[in-house]
Amino acid sequence: MAQDAAGAVGARLTPRLDEAGLIRAVQRGDQDAFEQLVRAYDQSVLRLAVNLLRSQEDARDVFQEAFLRVYRSIDSFRFDCSFHTWLYRIVTNICLDYLRKRKVRKEEPAVVDTPEGPLDRMNDFEEEAAHADPERNMWNRQLGQRIEGALGGLTPRERMVFELRHYQGLRLRNIGEILGTSEEAAKNCLFRATQKMRAVLGDLQ
Amino acid sequence: MNCESATKLVPLYFYGELPPEEEDSLEQHLDACAACAREAERQREISVALDRRAVQPSAALLAECRHDLMRAVYRQEAPVLRRAEPGRHPSWAAALIPQWLPSLGAWRMPLGASALLALGFAAARLTVPGAGGPASLASLTPDVISSVRSVQPAHDGSQPGEVQIVLDETRRRVVNGKLNDANIQRLMLAAAHDENNPGVRWESVDLLKSHSDSSPIRELLLNRVAEDPNPGVRLKALDGLKTYAGDPEVRKVLAGVLVRDDNPGVRIAAVDALTAHADDDMVGFLQSVVQKEDNTYVRRRCAKALQDMNASVGTF
Repeated sequence: MAQDAAGAVGARLTPRLDEAGLIRAVQRGDQDAFEQLVRAYDQSVLRLAVNLLRSQEDARDVFQEAFLRVYRSIDSFRFDCSFHTWLYRIVTNICLDYLRKRKVRKEEPAVVDTPEGPLDRMNDFEEEAAHADPERNMWNRQLGQRIEGALGGLTPRERMVFELRHYQGLRLRNIGEILGTSEEAAKNCLFRATQKMRAVLGDLQ
Repeated sequence: MNCESATKLVPLYFYGELPPEEEDSLEQHLDACAACAREAERQREISVALDRRAVQPSAALLAECRHDLMRAVYRQEAPVLRRAEPGRHPSWAAALIPQWLPSLGAWRMPLGASALLALGFAAARLTVPGAGGPASLASLTPDVISSVRSVQPAHDGSQPGEVQIVLDETRRRVVNGKLNDANIQRLMLAAAHDENNPGVRWESVDLLKSHSDSSPIRELLLNRVAEDPNPGVRLKALDGLKTYAGDPEVRKVLAGVLVRDDNPGVRIAAVDALTAHADDDMVGFLQSVVQKEDNTYVRRRCAKALQDMNASVGTF
């Protein structure tokens, strides 16, 4: 399971860089400080967008839109919460908009049927799986299709909570804070998501 | 604990989200109930399968995203207006400004006029290609840019299915020249007032500030630091004025910026520029700022400046 993303990011910033100092420098208009701040978080933001949206193009758009919003509105950041939470509020809002639009348009599933069989559009990404084992690749493809189907059955909010907990390793309390809801509501959302996943993937071999 | 509540807790247990006492109860239940233990195992298997779906964005994708972002930040998407609207200044600012500052409107009028003149100059020079203009403007490359203003069905009498498209066309020209060329400077003074493009203003001010010994450029910098809606441009202009921070007129404008600017970064830069030239006349002013400034960092900078001047931070 994914490690705690917030902790990993925090570790990347310390001890050389002081985050609060960087944020204040950005608030003073220091673009180099902004670049350093971006680099502390951009990998996890891109990973979130890529995993959620399963589209490189959409992930790029989310990345740019999110950090530009940060840049434009960082003056309003008052240290009332962690920068990680504030940033993720922005990122998750943008991603939720994308997911909702897709839900309405029902477009671009990550796994598409082709005359040669199901094709995962995410195969361009680096995968953790072994590359040269045809049987395993076939199994991965079938599994991928089923998992995408299961994830596709979640509401955008369930999908987001599941992504943040399972893949990004955030705690439910932090997820609630990011999504502007309570820990209890995030917990219920995660429960509903796992139940739905369980129903679709229950017979997984 | 019964099986129904255990089933509900299994996913949270798996994610380590149960309080210790509930975790203990569940573990006891799983030890005793084979069906729920199987359910927990299924949950683990599904989780392992889901882990395999995780993708890591490639280094190339990350590099492209970073590049695109910083290009947008530097070139096109400089911070948007967070400028105080009229009447948004804190009331204490209004009380301080009249004591310290002349009306900043005095800066607006001549500079507005000079911008128009410069535009007029540019139009005159650039619309007469090959008319023997100055050597520094010799390299002119025309290019036509179109944008669609409207699209509508064609008027009566035209063929069925015809449409009418109205295009706005702009002629682009490239002008090359040296920064110390007076004509180039005039163009750049105009560009520094282009209200639709903060990136162009930022770059123009950035280039011109190294020539702040020129009176029109110093006036431009004074105008931009006080009036530009973009904090990045204001900071650049302020940077160009640092060497003149001992000049009374420049100090008046910087004091106004310290009181009125809604961006703490700009206010901090104004404090730094003002206090780089110690001036006992500023003690009362800085004390007022310390009392009324809402940003801790700006307040500290002012307090530090007062301490450096052996002045008390508070007023008595």
